[in-house]
Amino acid sequence: MASVTLENVSRMYGAVTAVDNVNLKIKSGEFVTLLGPSGCGKTTTLRMVAGLEKNTGGRIAIGDNVVSDSDKGYFVPSERRRLGMVFQSYAIWPHMTVFDNVAYPLRIRRRPDTEVRDRVMNALRLVEMEQYAERPSPALSGGQQQRVAIARALVFEPEVLLLDEPLSNLDARLRTQMGDDFRALQQRLKITALYVTHDQAEAMALSDRVVVMHGGKILQVGAPEEIYRRPENRQVAAFFGTPNLLNATVKDCRPNGGQYFKLSVEGQGWSGDCHAATEMPKGADVTVMVRPENLHVRDAGQVNGDLSWSGEVSQAIFRGSHRSIMVKTPAQTLHVEASSLSNVDIGRPVTVAAPVEAAWAVRN
Amino acid sequence: MTIIHNRPLDDIAETAPTIAGNAFTRAFSGGSLWRLIGMLLLILILGFLTIYPLAMLLYGSLHSTPPGMAGEFNLNGYRSIMTTQNLIVLANTIGISLAKTIPSLTIAVFLAWIVARTDTPFRGTLEVLITLPFFIPPILTAMAWGMLANPQVGVINMVWRWATGATDPLVNIYSYGGVIWHMCQYSIPFLFLFMVDAFRAMDPSLEESSRMCGASRWTTFRKITLLLMLPVLTSSFMLSFIKGIETFESALFFGLPAGIKVITTDIYESINHRATPDYQYATSLSFAIMGLMFLLVIWQWWMLRGKSFQTVTGKGFRPSVMELGPWRWVTFAFCVLFFFITVVLPIGQLMLGSFFRFFGFYTYDMLTLEHYRAVFANSEFWRAVRNTMVLGLLGATATMALGAIVAYISVRTRWRGRNLIDSMAWLPWMMPGMVLGVGFLWAFAMLPGPIPIYGTIWALLLAYIALGTPVSVRVMTGAYHQLSYDLEECSRVHGATWAQTMWRIMVALAWPAFAVGWVLTFFGIMRELSASILLYSVGSETLAVVLMKLWANGNAEQVSVIGLMMMLLVIVFRWVQLSFIKSRISKL
Ligand SMILES: Nc1ncnc2c1ncn2[C@@H]1O[C@H](COP(=O)(O)OP(=O)(O)OP(=O)(O)O)[C@@H](O)[C@H]1O
Ligand SMILES: [Mg+2]
Repeated sequence: MASVTLENVSRMYGAVTAVDNVNLKIKSGEFVTLLGPSGCGKTTTLRMVAGLEKNTGGRIAIGDNVVSDSDKGYFVPSERRRLGMVFQSYAIWPHMTVFDNVAYPLRIRRRPDTEVRDRVMNALRLVEMEQYAERPSPALSGGQQQRVAIARALVFEPEVLLLDEPLSNLDARLRTQMGDDFRALQQRLKITALYVTHDQAEAMALSDRVVVMHGGKILQVGAPEEIYRRPENRQVAAFFGTPNLLNATVKDCRPNGGQYFKLSVEGQGWSGDCHAATEMPKGADVTVMVRPENLHVRDAGQVNGDLSWSGEVSQAIFRGSHRSIMVKTPAQTLHVEASSLSNVDIGRPVTVAAPVEAAWAVRN
Repeated sequence: MTIIHNRPLDDIAETAPTIAGNAFTRAFSGGSLWRLIGMLLLILILGFLTIYPLAMLLYGSLHSTPPGMAGEFNLNGYRSIMTTQNLIVLANTIGISLAKTIPSLTIAVFLAWIVARTDTPFRGTLEVLITLPFFIPPILTAMAWGMLANPQVGVINMVWRWATGATDPLVNIYSYGGVIWHMCQYSIPFLFLFMVDAFRAMDPSLEESSRMCGASRWTTFRKITLLLMLPVLTSSFMLSFIKGIETFESALFFGLPAGIKVITTDIYESINHRATPDYQYATSLSFAIMGLMFLLVIWQWWMLRGKSFQTVTGKGFRPSVMELGPWRWVTFAFCVLFFFITVVLPIGQLMLGSFFRFFGFYTYDMLTLEHYRAVFANSEFWRAVRNTMVLGLLGATATMALGAIVAYISVRTRWRGRNLIDSMAWLPWMMPGMVLGVGFLWAFAMLPGPIPIYGTIWALLLAYIALGTPVSVRVMTGAYHQLSYDLEECSRVHGATWAQTMWRIMVALAWPAFAVGWVLTFFGIMRELSASILLYSVGSETLAVVLMKLWANGNAEQVSVIGLMMMLLVIVFRWVQLSFIKSRISKL
């Protein structure tokens, strides 16, 4: 398996910039996910790596070989890039059986029949589809089609596996299961995978690293937990879930011993401590992000956190796994995810608290 | 489609000497030189098939003498068509076409509704029966109806006289009514074929939500169903109207004897029925009718602009079927009646005609097989069979191949010049067979001596290809639109070159559509009369031409025999086509 390198890669459609100066290095055996809202350029990026789209700027290399360099006008067509790809529609050819579909990449390369049979059956076994080999491919369920598409993409042992929203056509339960299965397979075979999705949970669960894109640009690259807990800016912070974002001013800033800085901040009617990635001058305006699941509701006046707000409960919604509680504070209404067992009355005065690790400040 | 590589050929070798791939695959995946040559070749072929006859038509209309003779350029041709008599011809043409389109559309909508949206029994079989008349060459039914509804000796009138004792005939096919009646028999199944899928594919939830809002069934039909169908109805109307103006057979058989002229028969007459053929008049008239067609096509385009066929999504739901109760036997009877009149009656007449010594004298002692013997002993007949078969097989294959290539380039690539070839392939759409025939007549005559196409079977072949190309492009365009780009791109990513992808994916997936189009084109060639009658010469007659000649000699009995043979051929082909489609659908 090979690495993938994108250097200043751009793609213009007329005057529209679909992908804008993307730099990314995917290590061999790594699972990297492109994540972002609809139209942010994920598919375009993937297709440029696949060679289905020409980059209008920058260079793309697979392993040590440059496959596309727009300045030199150099471009290796798809079929010579040795890739595997799973399309959103699966693109299972309806006129072939499951076996023929999977055998295609091998037959195209004129492999001997015995080798084709062995490798196809191996690939089908990998995705637990060997008993379907002789089925006409239209007679498959969505999940089965997806597995055939993966088998076909893997059968030639491609340099890199590209996947464009491969799970989005499946129902929620199957999606989780197929995702976990695929991740296990990827780790077992040490496949380099570039994966496109707009589903945050999927990206978190599967990837080694997540690339958050917006408007054709990369906003942040990092491990899922990194991106979720320590976003670099307000946009990335707001992208995952529905965090509480509070405006505040820095009162004090000091290193906390580790790689972060500890800030004392003050907002409208509240104050406390939080972490930040960089040093901030006193008086700087920052946004403090606190995730709803890290907030706790206590009786009024009871303070045992590094940050606290007092207010009254304005809304409580039972959601099965948890209870969404809205607490109205002088600063703004805070969204708290409490245990579904906790029961609070509307209008009750409470204190909302969070530990210092749960609060993350980014510069405005 | 984005698999486009604009680099010169040597570029790859220069910058990436390590990359493998032979010259052939490289040429077709990346070489703009080969692509350029291919496109030029295609433009040349299409140009010869469409632009060249058109240009010759214009030349002929401005030139005072037939091809090959010294003459001068003048506007006499156009002056000579500007007569009050021709105004009547024009009014006849338009009037007859309108008069057949409106009842045809009404009946076709009714039939489509019966088949697609009601619980009428045996709808599947009825659909096959209703569409059958469309595939029968019009010349056959024209001759059959000429015998059925002949005012003196037609079976219908004979039965009428016998039953009522009247002396006047009940019907006379040689009249405006006769021309329109014969055209309707083709328009109805054609329109039905054109519309029935739209009826079937309509999302029933659109209608159901109207019912839920409190609208009655009838209100829903008026305000929702009809309005949703409006784009289909409009384009059906225009298509049928345009086809009506191009029609030749009906007016030739039933109009001319009654002195009713339309533009196509007028062109035909000016070449074939005058002491000296008036080519300048014919070409000028041809050019004028093309102008008319052009205006109609523009009008059609303008009427349909921005209107989509969104209702035709057709997957995953069954349209709601209306339960008619006892009325369903009435709708059933209506469909059967239609089939009886348009297929059973003419076939019956042909049989009747083929077994009696003289057409019109149906008594026991007149029974004979001599016409069959005469036909089978006639070498001209066998030559015509061979010509028709060769032309059908070659013509359908070439037409579909051309259509498949043009459609692929215009739908699935972004190559420069794709719009040009698309428009060139579409051009014959505006040319009635008669007009194209005149154009090719001049075109072949003007070719330099060493290319002896004129008077050979190849002349007919080229004309058929030109006439069939718009339809073949349509069929293949539809087929390609249904194949997602993913199927093609997936193949490229997994290592197949452009050529390999074409062969293993596109051809493999599109060939059912190709086959269906092929059969359609074959039928089209078998029935073609208007261009054939201008371009044939001794030795290159087709079956339709032989029929025409026999008919003109008053040999209705042998006409019946040959007609029956052709009818049989049509039914066999149609059966093969239908069972083929069925097996394809059950497979996919
Ligand atoms: N062929 C094209 N011509 C013009 N603009 C295009 C074309 N293809 C994509 N774009 C534009 O480029 C941008 C990025 O498109 P892309 O398909 O990469 O989005 P995406 O992130 O995959 O979105 P989604 O999650 O909806 O699939 C979009 O704004 C889109 O409109
Ligand atoms: Mg996308």
